[in-house]
Amino acid sequence: MTNRLWNWRLWAGFGVSFLALVIYFLLIQKTRAIFWGSLVLFVLSAALLISGLKRAYGQPQSYRGKIAGPILTVLGVLFLGVFGWGVSLAAKYFPAARNAPQVGQKAPEFITVDSHGNSVALVQLLSTSMPTSGGSRTPKGVLLVFYRGYW
Amino acid sequence: MAISADTPEESRELIRKAGLTYPLLSDGKAEAIRRYDLLAAKAGIDGRDIAGTAEFLVDTSGTVRWRNLNETGPEEFMKAAATLQ
Repeated sequence: MTNRLWNWRLWAGFGVSFLALVIYFLLIQKTRAIFWGSLVLFVLSAALLISGLKRAYGQPQSYRGKIAGPILTVLGVLFLGVFGWGVSLAAKYFPAARNAPQVGQKAPEFITVDSHGNSVALVQLLSTSMPTSGGSRTPKGVLLVFYRGYW
Repeated sequence: MAISADTPEESRELIRKAGLTYPLLSDGKAEAIRRYDLLAAKAGIDGRDIAGTAEFLVDTSGTVRWRNLNETGPEEFMKAAATLQ
């Protein structure tokens, strides 16, 4: 009983899956586009857990972990689930914008409505003078800020 | 110019509450938002289609001179705006 070896792979697998989740949420601003780092860590964690479980059940006389193994594995799967949920939420709220106009490209024309109900087109914004504190000035350009709205 | 999928009424409310001095544009059907590939489908309250956050600096020829798809500070924008003639 006391001679059985510590099944470190189970604990390492659990630790790596926890690390993968923590890294993902700590770096969400950067990783919402690149979540592959965490995914690779989860694959590594799965490999460690599976190999640890094999040792625990295949060679129970040599290795410990028959009780800890399933618990750590379930927790690891749970972390993976939370990670997947985070990735799907990020995809919903932060569109990848792969086809957003790039620097040097033409800004797509559009027509919207201002807060008084008047139609406003981009071409108009680029050519119409805006009233300012010192009279009115021809615009040098327009900054388009897309925001989520509904504050 | 700030653009969202909010209605003109909601924009008026926001202008009043926040004391904004620049116009807010309403893109209720998310047409402009789609054209700029910024649609966050059903991500709004009541499952509305809304815009993801992004900024584009457009010069008078209609060309994008600078853009920002992340939520960063204004420093980069100020640099790009200084190059406009």
